[in-house]
Amino acid sequence: MYPEPTNLWERIEYSSLGTTIAESTWMFPLLEVFHVIALVTVIGTIAIVDLRLIGVASKGHRVSLLAKDLLPWTWGAFALAALTGGLLFVSKASSYMINPWFLGKMALLALAGLNMMYLHMTTWRTVEHWEVDPSFPTAAKVAGWLSLIFWVGVVFCGRAIGFTLGIYY
Amino acid sequence: MGDLLFELSQWLYTTPLNDFAQSMSESAFSMWLVERFWAIPILQVVHILAIAGTLAAILMMNLRVFGKVGHATLGETAQRYTKVLWWSLVFVIISGVLMLFGDTVRNLLNSVFWIKMVLVVVGILTAISYTRGLARQSASGLDVAGSGAKAGGIFLIILWCVIILAGRWIAYAPS
Repeated sequence: MYPEPTNLWERIEYSSLGTTIAESTWMFPLLEVFHVIALVTVIGTIAIVDLRLIGVASKGHRVSLLAKDLLPWTWGAFALAALTGGLLFVSKASSYMINPWFLGKMALLALAGLNMMYLHMTTWRTVEHWEVDPSFPTAAKVAGWLSLIFWVGVVFCGRAIGFTLGIYY
Repeated sequence: MGDLLFELSQWLYTTPLNDFAQSMSESAFSMWLVERFWAIPILQVVHILAIAGTLAAILMMNLRVFGKVGHATLGETAQRYTKVLWWSLVFVIISGVLMLFGDTVRNLLNSVFWIKMVLVVVGILTAISYTRGLARQSASGLDVAGSGAKAGGIFLIILWCVIILAGRWIAYAPS
């Protein structure tokens, strides 16, 4: 029997979905596998566009075409990562919510999202003009660098969670 | 299945691999790694990023093979992402070997670890054959991939997903 939940996170953790995942021997590892597959696909596809933005790779290719090709894969993989991540969270919600690395991962995810939104609402609007230039606008390069930094940070925090879950009370 | 793998792991303890794993775990580098809390998480981050590079390179070549991206020729796409694939695999292997020093016994004496190693070797050999096939095809002037390349590409994606599964499984398999 589980104790009476005292807050929202415990209510989520002690829900039938949360306890089913936590009590199963295979559900959590399997969800982790799909989470990793989704995450590496998100990062791999985003990095191809970011490396083009900062001028390191794919120099002979239009960044708008690269983004157009990859975006469906990035979003599809992101949806899978969010779904599996959400299910992993439900099984140990209260432990995650007091873990600073988990909170850091969520903050970096939000920053990565805001960075992408800002790029698309500003510099990206004129992409067809500057993507043929040898050097991209500073704002595009900064967005590429920030995206890479945020996503590496997301992976680092993700691994740090695995090493620190349960040590915070 | 679980019992068989456990018995296989137990058998590994009776082989010379046991002594080798124990001596490796007592090496100066192992000690250095174990004493540093963040060393393994950082190596894991490098490992994950390198796997991301590997999967992204295979995905990009596959998209071209299946005609889902069209702004570069098959040859250009294969040439560009073959380099990404090899460099990513170099980092996968280096970070993987270094991580081995951090948890030698649990890995070397674990049947799932050896399943993963066999799959990695198959994955690398298949990748070599796949990229060579694409290079041959583009050298002969063909910009359309054959059914062999398509089958190889799908097999590679599935295989690397199974390798990721095996990698996570090591952490849960009793040894």
